[in-house]
Amino acid sequence: MKEIDARGLACPAPVLQTKAALQEEELSSLRVVLDNAASQENVQRFLDSQGYETLLQAEGADFWVIGTRGNARQRQEAGGPAPEAALQPGKIMVMCATDRMGFGDDELGKKLMINFLRTLKEMGPELWRLVFVNNGVKLTIDGSEVLEDLQAFEKEGLTILVCGTCLDHFDLLVRKQVGVTTNMLDIVTAMQLADKVISI
Amino acid sequence: MVFPTDGNVLVGLDRADDAGVYKVSDELALIQTVDFFTPIVDDPYWFGQIAAANALSDVYAMGGIPKTAMNLVAFPVKDMDLSVLRAVIQGGIDKLAEAETVLIGGHSIEDKELKYGLSVTGFVHPARVLTKQNLQPGDGLVLTKPLGTGIVNTAIKAGMASADLTESVTRLMAALNRIAAETMARFDVHACTDVTGFGLLGHLAEMVSGSGRSVRVFAERIPVIEDALTFAAMGLIPAGAYKNREFRAGMIEVGDGMARERQDMLFDPQTSGGLLICMPGAQAEDLVAALKDAGLGDAAKVGEIVDGPAEKIRVA
Repeated sequence: MKEIDARGLACPAPVLQTKAALQEEELSSLRVVLDNAASQENVQRFLDSQGYETLLQAEGADFWVIGTRGNARQRQEAGGPAPEAALQPGKIMVMCATDRMGFGDDELGKKLMINFLRTLKEMGPELWRLVFVNNGVKLTIDGSEVLEDLQAFEKEGLTILVCGTCLDHFDLLVRKQVGVTTNMLDIVTAMQLADKVISI
Repeated sequence: MVFPTDGNVLVGLDRADDAGVYKVSDELALIQTVDFFTPIVDDPYWFGQIAAANALSDVYAMGGIPKTAMNLVAFPVKDMDLSVLRAVIQGGIDKLAEAETVLIGGHSIEDKELKYGLSVTGFVHPARVLTKQNLQPGDGLVLTKPLGTGIVNTAIKAGMASADLTESVTRLMAALNRIAAETMARFDVHACTDVTGFGLLGHLAEMVSGSGRSVRVFAERIPVIEDALTFAAMGLIPAGAYKNREFRAGMIEVGDGMARERQDMLFDPQTSGGLLICMPGAQAEDLVAALKDAGLGDAAKVGEIVDGPAEKIRVA
């Protein structure tokens, strides 16, 4: 989750800092850390006005505002009544056990995989987990053509799980650049919690 | 703390009023007040005007007529061009001229930050001094300027206010309370204050404290700068507004379902705000009409004094 540290700033600076962060990139979730209750309420109001759901929290001497909302596409549609699916998005888990799509031509398969991952965002808020196992973990390391796309997903709040056993097997543990290293129990639990699992 | 006093002090430090009042004779009392602050607008000439209007306001709020003034200046002479200081003081002088008040002295010091204000002396008949006390059941409350300058100033700092809005709010803050004071002098006024840093409800709370009365405030009738409502919804609210709300929380009851932004207006710290006038309810609408005739189009009756439960402010 993106964190904005606005401690030590007087009104309206924390609101402006939050506003600037949202203009820079679309965030489906963020945490703003403040040092006084007035700034906390102001930032909460600002995020409310931008369509976020907000949660206030006190952490030691700090005041947090945690904001969450659906992805950009959902926001664009927010003018009209939201479809039911958007109100209660289903949880889709996509599991990639390979770095190429389908069998036949490997070059084509790699291109298709890249295209597939880039198009995944069209699933909107229903995309809940993206899991990489076996050869799939090679998509999460430095030099991967989709690394930036995956990092953008993560920034927007999507949880990406990468199989630790697989990374270890290919000796790629230190080269992983995106996602959370995970184990089979997490993957199985995610499968159980998901409304839909799509396996590639 | 014990303050030295004598029999001629009509309003002193023991009562937190807008200005001190000292009786000179049975016909004449002096009103004395001082106020200065750091710039609230970028333009030095307008800052001078606003500072002067703000300092003069306390005399008007006491029912008096300002007569003389002295400058108080703190200026970073090494870091700032003297033309800035000249513009500030010219703004003050022009505003004093509008108030038919003479500048007869002053004092300046070197400081890291520009500060400007004035000490103002006015005249009042000892029997016609208006304080924050003397609220009567059935009285009406009249406010002469719209609220929201603190929030708009925050939006200006944030670079989110339009040039038109910036100018209109600057003019509003620089507007003297002279016309309001002269108009209310034709009526049978019970109490008066001006709305400044504590916000409408903060200053109203001062009037209600110790009165044994309560107040009903009609939130929907309170004049506000419309754009301030939008900025409040975006969180462009000065920290002072939250302090004001917290400080008086125990005295204030807000009705269910009132928009949060409208509540914010009631606590928004004002710079050179309007007069808050307490007078017999039957005359309040007449005063509002007279104020509007005199060019104060935003004037409105915003509340009324009721008997008990003692010293509460109910906003509905």
